Amino acid sequence: MSAGGPGRPREAEKSRVDSAIDWLEQRLNLTEIFSFLTHFGIVYTPVDTRLPLRAALRRIGASPLVSYARWPQVLGLLTALLFGLETVTGILLAFYYHPTADGAYDSTTAIVRDVPAGWFIHQMHHWGALLLVGVVVARVIRLFWDRLYHPPRELLWLSAVWLMWVALQLDFTGRLLPWDVHSYWSSMRGLELIGSQPVIGPLIGFVLGGRVITENVLVRSYALHIIVLPLFYLGGVWITFATMRRIGLSMQAEGGDESSRTTWHRHTLNLLILLVLLTAGLVTLATLLPFRFHGPADPYSTPANTRPPWYLLSPFPLVQLLRAPEWVAGLVLLLSGLVVPILPLWAARHPRRLSDQGLRRLGIVLLSLWAVFTVLGAFAGRR
Amino acid sequence: MSARASTPVAAALALALALAAAPAAAQPSIGSPRTVTAASGRCGVCHPAERVAFETSPHAREDVHCVSCHGGDDRAIDEATAHGHGFTGRMDRASIPRMCASCHSDEKRMRPYDLPVDQFSLYQTSRHGILLAGGDKQVAVCSDCHGAHDILPASDPVSRIAVSNIPRTCGRCHGDTTLVRQRHIQNAYAQYMTSVHAHQLFDLGNLRAPTCVSCHGVHGATPPEVDEISKVCGRCHTAERRYFLAGPHAQKMAAQDVPACIACHGNHAIEASRVDRLGSGCANCHEAGSRLGKMGPAMLADYQGAMTEIEKAEKQIARADEVPIQTEDYHARVEEARTYLREAMTAAHAVQPELVAGFTLRARSVGTEIQSELQHKFFNLKTSKLFLIVFWFYVLVTVGILLRTRNRPPRRE
Amino acid sequence: MPDTESGPQDGAPEGASASRRQFLTWLSRAFLGLWAVGGAAVVAAYLKPGEGGEGGGRLVHIGPLDQLRVGDALLVRHGVKPFFVIRTNESTVIALSAVCTHVRCIVNYDRERRAIVCPCHDGHFDLRGEVVSGPPPRPLPSYEVSVRAGDVYVRV
Repeated sequence: MSAGGPGRPREAEKSRVDSAIDWLEQRLNLTEIFSFLTHFGIVYTPVDTRLPLRAALRRIGASPLVSYARWPQVLGLLTALLFGLETVTGILLAFYYHPTADGAYDSTTAIVRDVPAGWFIHQMHHWGALLLVGVVVARVIRLFWDRLYHPPRELLWLSAVWLMWVALQLDFTGRLLPWDVHSYWSSMRGLELIGSQPVIGPLIGFVLGGRVITENVLVRSYALHIIVLPLFYLGGVWITFATMRRIGLSMQAEGGDESSRTTWHRHTLNLLILLVLLTAGLVTLATLLPFRFHGPADPYSTPANTRPPWYLLSPFPLVQLLRAPEWVAGLVLLLSGLVVPILPLWAARHPRRLSDQGLRRLGIVLLSLWAVFTVLGAFAGRR
Repeated sequence: MSARASTPVAAALALALALAAAPAAAQPSIGSPRTVTAASGRCGVCHPAERVAFETSPHAREDVHCVSCHGGDDRAIDEATAHGHGFTGRMDRASIPRMCASCHSDEKRMRPYDLPVDQFSLYQTSRHGILLAGGDKQVAVCSDCHGAHDILPASDPVSRIAVSNIPRTCGRCHGDTTLVRQRHIQNAYAQYMTSVHAHQLFDLGNLRAPTCVSCHGVHGATPPEVDEISKVCGRCHTAERRYFLAGPHAQKMAAQDVPACIACHGNHAIEASRVDRLGSGCANCHEAGSRLGKMGPAMLADYQGAMTEIEKAEKQIARADEVPIQTEDYHARVEEARTYLREAMTAAHAVQPELVAGFTLRARSVGTEIQSELQHKFFNLKTSKLFLIVFWFYVLVTVGILLRTRNRPPRRE
Repeated sequence: MPDTESGPQDGAPEGASASRRQFLTWLSRAFLGLWAVGGAAVVAAYLKPGEGGEGGGRLVHIGPLDQLRVGDALLVRHGVKPFFVIRTNESTVIALSAVCTHVRCIVNYDRERRAIVCPCHDGHFDLRGEVVSGPPPRPLPSYEVSVRAGDVYVRV
């Protein structure tokens, strides 16, 4: 409750902010701008752009709010927050990075060694990436498990899978950039696998600049990593919000009870707490388990035991242990890329052929297979 | 038979040949082996192999003919006349040096080519020359090393006396196992070919590596005397010789007629220097447990201790590179430390442990300094992780504040 | 600390409790503000352009030309490839590797004799890097020197 004396200056300040907003309102549709921002986050409720900003905000504030800063909805929040963090740290890193074969390793080590707080920014980017991939994969699994691919949520499901693929591609292109021995050779193995997919393998080689890692591939990876793939990611985020705006949150659909309702005040503070804990967790990981450098890449000297990145390890045993030709591994990769988004949608349409229970069991089996093959791939043929 | 007498004859014959057989003489190239040429006259008709060999040599272009050395008549068509006037044919080995010297010791004749004229006099002082004068015809004469007809200058890579061919040329006798056994000499060629000098010359292409003549001399080839050995080796290994002369070994070895460098390193089969020989080599002359005998192992221990420190420092540097910490300076200091250690081994020739210790101590201290500095940096990195505790305290306070703000009913303005 | 407030509205015990609340509010804001300050400081320190610039280390900046007297040599400890920067006369600066081509000892510069001498096995090099005497098999490599705006740079 404002006391008499101290209140008056505050009222004077308020009117200054107010008058600034009024000045802008006369020249711009601020609500439209705000609505554009909500396409990528902030609120799910539709925004009436015909109202002035304060009225629109009041209406939003008055509508019931379901808390999604709680498990498992927080996964969605985290995909957005982590992406924002990666963007910020990525922009900072781009101020010093040289995307050439000669300069990449030296500039990256210079960031870590010479630039003040460079190691911090670099580590946050490194761990944020790992966490981002983990979170998007976890989100896909959770959507699958909670059967949130049934109509009308198909686009939600597809955009979640899309976000997962883009995140993995961001990881793949980003991991090549330090041009470190391990990053070069693991990317080489990964590119061999990706490029061996029938039909789209040559297409990927076309886009990336070759079937073998060269400086061209590095430069294109850089361009993809900082411009193209982030735009694709934002596109996925946009679709997610757009479809949720229309179909509403699942918690409401499942007879959302009062306990899931919350106020804006609480919601904002939950977000802040989440952000603080996320940052703290990343700082801890960054300090305790820093990224290690192993020397600049030498295209003519292969170290022992090179493997593809962890998410591409699963087709590896097919080639290493079962001695299957490469196109078989590529085919498996391609099929899994198609099966993951499409199978649940097909199962939703044909519940008698494949019930949700059946699909869940199938999902468990495939996930376990993937895990087993990944472990095998990590240790197969190790000298 | 001196070449001087036949020279005017040869010249006249050559002139006659040139006038009479102009078309044939017009072709300077080797052509068919049986061709008649200016240099060889008609000798090549019956002796084509020798003619071809002779014409590869500069002699053929410098007014030297078959008859210059062998006598006879190179214009004759029949053998009797050709082998007639003053013909010496396959001459006696003992007379070859003198015959070659008839031109090659003539300063006036050799001056336009800037060739030395002391070969014969040097040869007479050499072991070969002394034995030859004593009637031993098995020793080397000019033609054994230079060839009889295809005599090429040392700058020509196929010449028998080109640098990389010298060991093989000497090895024709000094590597011939039968000959070596008969005459009770070392198989120096076989020994040399196992040496580090041969490795440098043949495997690494270092043309400055020593061959037989580098140590023994060319025409005056003689094995060096005991007191000359360090002078010979010291021509290249100047640093080692300097240290050697400053130490007690120089005088003591000379007094006991021990051949200085050879006593430890061998004379022909010289191995690349190995540090661990310091530990085992002294026992060849000194009692293993004696004060002198323990010096070598002591120096070796110094060296190995310092080397261990440097290697430990290098491991730390590799760890630091991973982080990465700036290590350019450390790499440079390691190189300097290794320099000290290599110099220590040269200084070991003075067999004065304090001298060696001076270097090894410097190397060791660089190693330990680097290690401690890097440890310090790693420690700093580690302790910076303790900052995490402060950070988490801060985080928890922040979360507490936020929770409290959240749980308070919102203020309505 | 967090349990003294039950609501901002209850009958104000003035003075002590109000000022304590104000203080705690200020403290909370300070704590939260520290995040912003810390973040801003980190980003500012990170973005501040450095002096060295050349992270690659290919072009090594030695220093001002005036600080190198004629006939003097400077040993630059450039990692495993140290080199000498020698000012041979008023207008010429050369850079020669300081690693002997024999067994990689670090050589010394002899000012009087204007030559480079290796202490390990007494190898001598002239100022072109050519071997004058001793065991080294190959000449010393030389590096390209450029002088820009009074500063000496060597390309290693």
